[in-house]
Amino acid sequence: MKVFLRGMRQAFTIARRDFAATVFTPTFLLFLLAPVFMIVFALVGGMGARGAAESTDARERMVVIASSSRAAEITAIDSQLRKLFPSRGDNALPELVIEAPANDVAAQARAMFDSTEYDLTAVLHGPLERPRILRGPRDYREANYLAELAEQVLRVERSGGTQQLSQAEIAEVSRGQSSVSGRSQLAYVAVLGIFFLTLMLSGQAVGAMAEERSNKVIEVLAAAVPLESVFFGKLLGAFGTAVLFVAFWGTLLGNLPKLLPANYVSAFSELGAAVGYPLFPLLFVAYFTMAYMLLSAVFLGVGALASTQREIQMLSLPITIIQVVMLGFASYGAIAPNSWVAIAAQVFPFSSPSAMAARAANSPEIWPHVAALIWQALWVGITVTIGARVFRRGVLKSGSPRIRLRGR
Amino acid sequence: MSEELAVSATGLVKDFGGRRVVDGVDIAVPRGLIYGVLGPNGAGKTTTLRMLLGIIEPDAGERMLLGHPRPREASDQVGYLPEERGLYPGMRAKDAIAFMGALRGLRWSEGRRRARTLMEAAGLGHAADDKIRKLSKGMAQLVQLLGSAVHHPDLLVLDEPFSGLDPVNQERLEKLILAERDRGATILFSTHVMAHAERLCDRLSIIAGGKVRFEGTVADARAKLPFKAHYTPHRGGPELAALLPPDAEQIDGSWSFTVPEEGIEALLVRLIDAGHGISGLSIERPGLHDAFVRIVAEAGAAETVE
Repeated sequence: MKVFLRGMRQAFTIARRDFAATVFTPTFLLFLLAPVFMIVFALVGGMGARGAAESTDARERMVVIASSSRAAEITAIDSQLRKLFPSRGDNALPELVIEAPANDVAAQARAMFDSTEYDLTAVLHGPLERPRILRGPRDYREANYLAELAEQVLRVERSGGTQQLSQAEIAEVSRGQSSVSGRSQLAYVAVLGIFFLTLMLSGQAVGAMAEERSNKVIEVLAAAVPLESVFFGKLLGAFGTAVLFVAFWGTLLGNLPKLLPANYVSAFSELGAAVGYPLFPLLFVAYFTMAYMLLSAVFLGVGALASTQREIQMLSLPITIIQVVMLGFASYGAIAPNSWVAIAAQVFPFSSPSAMAARAANSPEIWPHVAALIWQALWVGITVTIGARVFRRGVLKSGSPRIRLRGR
Repeated sequence: MSEELAVSATGLVKDFGGRRVVDGVDIAVPRGLIYGVLGPNGAGKTTTLRMLLGIIEPDAGERMLLGHPRPREASDQVGYLPEERGLYPGMRAKDAIAFMGALRGLRWSEGRRRARTLMEAAGLGHAADDKIRKLSKGMAQLVQLLGSAVHHPDLLVLDEPFSGLDPVNQERLEKLILAERDRGATILFSTHVMAHAERLCDRLSIIAGGKVRFEGTVADARAKLPFKAHYTPHRGGPELAALLPPDAEQIDGSWSFTVPEEGIEALLVRLIDAGHGISGLSIERPGLHDAFVRIVAEAGAAETVE
């Protein structure tokens, strides 16, 4: 017990030094504000992409070739049918244009696809009872829309007018519990959240031992402290930095709904966790901790093995690839919570934190989380121990020459 | 192994990559003394110290550190200055000392307080708030030494503590080592600079080729060699060399030779009787340097000696 307590005390000493050395520097401010730069770049990129998409949308057309006597009727029905589609965005319908028929209507319709002024998605010509519709290679929806438009125009004509016969009263009702799709979405958000947080934050650990090795402090540490404590201290120090980062952005994002319009906020109410609140955020934090510790321990071990920055980068790449594979693994589990893949993802140590966070959103049982946290903590211990031993052998050129049951 | 020993080891062995670096080293360091581990470069001094401290594990042999068979258990009572100095460049000097103390169980606040006192005593008080990267190499080295002693260890292990220091800082370091001994600590240090060992060591071991070739006091080591005589004749001559011992060497009109086992008196009588007389004569005990060279040479491991 005394040895354990001393090890913990030494680990906290190292963690404290690392935390202070990281946080009390100007570069930490840059690190803390890195998401701002990411958001700005994303917004600028998004604006560019959206501008390009809107300009494409603005150039798209659907055309109905029909006599002027039917133009008003078609326009009225089009405005009613359009209510079923979003008025803006990727799913909005292109503008509908009504053209007077020429002598050869079929040729006229075909020629429109060669227009340099707009991009024709679909064109309808001929009698409405048997309309002919030409469409672009991917424009099924527009073709079907024109077919339905023709059908509705005829129905209106035969029923005697375009005026609306019913007036619906629509009211919004909030659910007593989260929706199934909302839970599934939250599960996916949890998986993505843990993935991105660990991706952004745990990579720091890879260079943590490089500092000690480059300035030879490792010899001082190794003489005073067991390498397991050095490793654990490094992990704690880096984790402290990560917690500061997450707390800062978590507080900011937690207060975001207060700044958003009510209709946006109501959309979030659909995202419910099966285990309820505040247990879900607590479990999320616990699983983030485990994911961070597991991955950082691997990065730390790799960083300890590498002697140059190039080696660190080369060794980090496979870990990042494995991390992405784990994301896919856990994501599938989030979408299909009862599948064997989901169970496997929950058991496999490196995907377990993400997959279990998803489970917390999908399923109300509590005991699997207790078991999972113990299981993951065990693996954190195993990973740290292996990392420390690899380091001892690789760097200090030591380690037991043979397996010993009792220390010297 | 006796409780009176701060460090003891028997039969320590270490191989690296199939090469035996330490080959059955025995060592016994009494408490409260300054003990030197001397040896040429590559003799296995650093590896021996690292095994004694538990930084690396021996392939064979037993060791005891401050009464603990597992060196880690005594780590809070030990201070260590490694051969490759290492400090965090971004830390303030007093924080670096406090950090090293904290690793050994000293509270940070107490460590900072002691750091300031120690730095002032060592003539470095003005640099207490400076970052390590601003200090000269010698100052940083002293800071690290203070860091290794800030928690008042019972045993201070210093690996080549004088290397890289200018004479002023070497003298400061010698004073610090003596002050630690006076406080009651045991000092174990390695060096291949004989002058420091001669001035500081109460006892010493000479290691060469991974084995202990000598163990004892400085006087014991020097006693391994006979006295040396430096004789200047009143009148020289071709027959003079025949009267002197076979190892006699002439340098600028004087002769140096080993004093014969039976004493020098009979030789002097013969020289006077032969009319060479005595213009000058001095007899001196060889230094530790000579003893070291002889011992290492005998071990067949003569290497770079400073």
